[in-house]
Amino acid sequence: MRLERGIISSSQLTFLVAGYVQGSVMVVAITNIITKQYTWLVVLSGLAASIPLAMVYIALARKFPGKDLIQINRIVYGPYLGKLVSALYIWFFCSIAGFMLTYVGEIIKYYMMPETPKYAICILFACICAWTVRNGIEVLARTSVIFVMIIIFVILITFFLLLKDMQLTNFLPFFDLSLKDFIQGTHVMLTLPFSEIVVFLMVMPYVNKGVEAKKSVILGLIIGGVSILIDTVRNTAVLGVTSTIMVSPSIESVRLIDLAEIITRLEMLVITLLLIAMFIKVSVMYYGSVLGIARLFNLRSYRPLVLPIGSIIVSLSILSFTYLAQNVGFATGTGPFFTLTFEFSPVITLLIAKIRKLPK
Amino acid sequence: MKNRMGFILEIIICFMLILPISGCWSRHELNSLSFVVGVGLDKAEKPGEIQLTTQVVKPGELKSASAKNKSSGSGGNGTNAYWNIKRTGYVASKIIRDFSHESSHRLYFPHNQVLIIERKLAEEGIQKYIDTFIRDNETRFNVLIVVSEDRANEVLDVSPELEKLPAINIAKLVETQNVTSESPTVRLIDFIRRLMNKTTAPIAPLIRVTSDGNEKTVEVFGTAVFKHDKLVGELNKRETRGLLWVINKVKGGMIDVAVPSGDGTVSLEIMRAKSKMTPVIQDDTILIKLDIKAEGIINSQSGSEDITSPVHVASLEKELSAEIRKEIIAALKTAKDLNSDIFGFGESIYWKYPSEWKKLKMKWDEVFPDIEVALNIDTTLRSTGNISAPAVPAKE
Repeated sequence: MRLERGIISSSQLTFLVAGYVQGSVMVVAITNIITKQYTWLVVLSGLAASIPLAMVYIALARKFPGKDLIQINRIVYGPYLGKLVSALYIWFFCSIAGFMLTYVGEIIKYYMMPETPKYAICILFACICAWTVRNGIEVLARTSVIFVMIIIFVILITFFLLLKDMQLTNFLPFFDLSLKDFIQGTHVMLTLPFSEIVVFLMVMPYVNKGVEAKKSVILGLIIGGVSILIDTVRNTAVLGVTSTIMVSPSIESVRLIDLAEIITRLEMLVITLLLIAMFIKVSVMYYGSVLGIARLFNLRSYRPLVLPIGSIIVSLSILSFTYLAQNVGFATGTGPFFTLTFEFSPVITLLIAKIRKLPK
Repeated sequence: MKNRMGFILEIIICFMLILPISGCWSRHELNSLSFVVGVGLDKAEKPGEIQLTTQVVKPGELKSASAKNKSSGSGGNGTNAYWNIKRTGYVASKIIRDFSHESSHRLYFPHNQVLIIERKLAEEGIQKYIDTFIRDNETRFNVLIVVSEDRANEVLDVSPELEKLPAINIAKLVETQNVTSESPTVRLIDFIRRLMNKTTAPIAPLIRVTSDGNEKTVEVFGTAVFKHDKLVGELNKRETRGLLWVINKVKGGMIDVAVPSGDGTVSLEIMRAKSKMTPVIQDDTILIKLDIKAEGIINSQSGSEDITSPVHVASLEKELSAEIRKEIIAALKTAKDLNSDIFGFGESIYWKYPSEWKKLKMKWDEVFPDIEVALNIDTTLRSTGNISAPAVPAKE
């Protein structure tokens, strides 16, 4: 029984992963408070640490070809425990989608439309995601190719326009970060943007060449990681110590672009970038939860679930945070531990599968 | 048939969607907004209160108003292109909203060019007043910070000769200072970056109103030196250039030197300058090494001697270095007297010696006045202008 008729190519998977990774830290600086001017360093270490985890996800997907996470759980943990684990995963996907939707709502509400209620923005945004999810993974993968190109283009353009404002001394001294802060920063970077790709275990069965999936996921991670890196380097170089108190260093640094008073006030570029990157991220999470529920209850089609799950996600997004700094507090506090639970458990799944010599 | 109906329905839905797309939820029509171009902060009569002056543009008057309104100095008599609204209160952001009692238009801040702070207010600390300009999402970090010797509302009321709006005039005035490099250009982001640093002290250009009979003009002179958020002193124009040499911000400027072997003076114009700061810590003594490279041209000469021979040029270069050295030493002396690290010496030590810095930063106020600076100034004269020898009657 195939829930999803679409098939995506491995290069589309690369872009999907890249766009997905770019999603969350593009605008809100998560670890700037902890790691100050060394955020670029933890981006690199977080990326490096996430690659082994990504290898585990790929190994799991290749061990059970054509099976998604819910089916794998059922095979490995048995019908009852497997269903429980799967249900927890669906909860995780839903809540992350909700949190991401909150980012969108808060940023748009604060920087663009202060008088518009957040739910209006969240509902409209969720409608587009719902439409995409209804149309299947193929549509999402194709749009992501264009979107990731736009994101990379905007990041590079803003980087070059800000070259004259950059002060390399902002990165000095070279390594004056306590080990504790470094580990915490790496942990946040590993769990929040990078290893959330665990949701791609729901997408992996629909990649046409399973063998090449490994290369494309890693490549996507690196593209996403490098664009986050360029973004962080730009913010630190331009803003220096002030980037630690700003809710959104990206917007503030791009606001400083002033080319002969003609090319100026470009912060809308960053918000556009946020919108399209978030669109990919929310849609993939949304898709994962919808497909997961359909699989969990052995439905013939996932489409009837799109709207109900969508309304749950919107409600979650409205309930979860009330202001952006709170979101940053979650991201540096309990957030990484919450997500790490789900990001690490595929390792256990793989081990159990090895021990039980599955699949038979 | 059914297909065609569906198609028509889609078209109708698309057209209906056009209506809500334009959206009018939080709309701001252009004619219901007033564009703020300048903000002035003054001390009010009551202790703890401030007077906030905002200068808003009157777009209708922009075209017709004469550049300088000579009949009256005060704004709002119908011919000035600006209106200064003043209000007093305790908190800047509340005053800004209170302007709605007087102004029928909503004040719109993204086009604000300059933030003028009265010197007396700056002496008491300005952190609590500028917070709203950092936190609010309408204000921008590009806004220039200026400290005014006179009251900010008076400065904002001096009609300029060339511009129509006093605030724009002040902003352009501050930005043009790189011709002489005798006054810094400080954006809000530069100011708060220095403010957030533990040792590096913020600076801002100083302005004042000069009057010649009835004619009033605004002029820029020197630099206001802060310690944390309180103004503690000032640098004059010469000392300011000394400071700018150290922090690598000199873009130009004229330096007069005496002709070494003869009469008259030579004006040398700085074309390019670069400086590098390297701290050296050796057994508890701190030495700041400053390497300054400057390139100049001969701009004018008041004597009749031909000074373009290599020997002469070399001695002129020497004179130029000596003059730069004097400027820097003057700036250093004032900064040490004020005990305010405007050069960023502390930061440069932190960059190079992070572990030593942990001990030093606690007692930086005692260390800074005794800090030693080694200057290494290298100047080159690149051009003698259009002529070599001056145009003088031929000698026998």
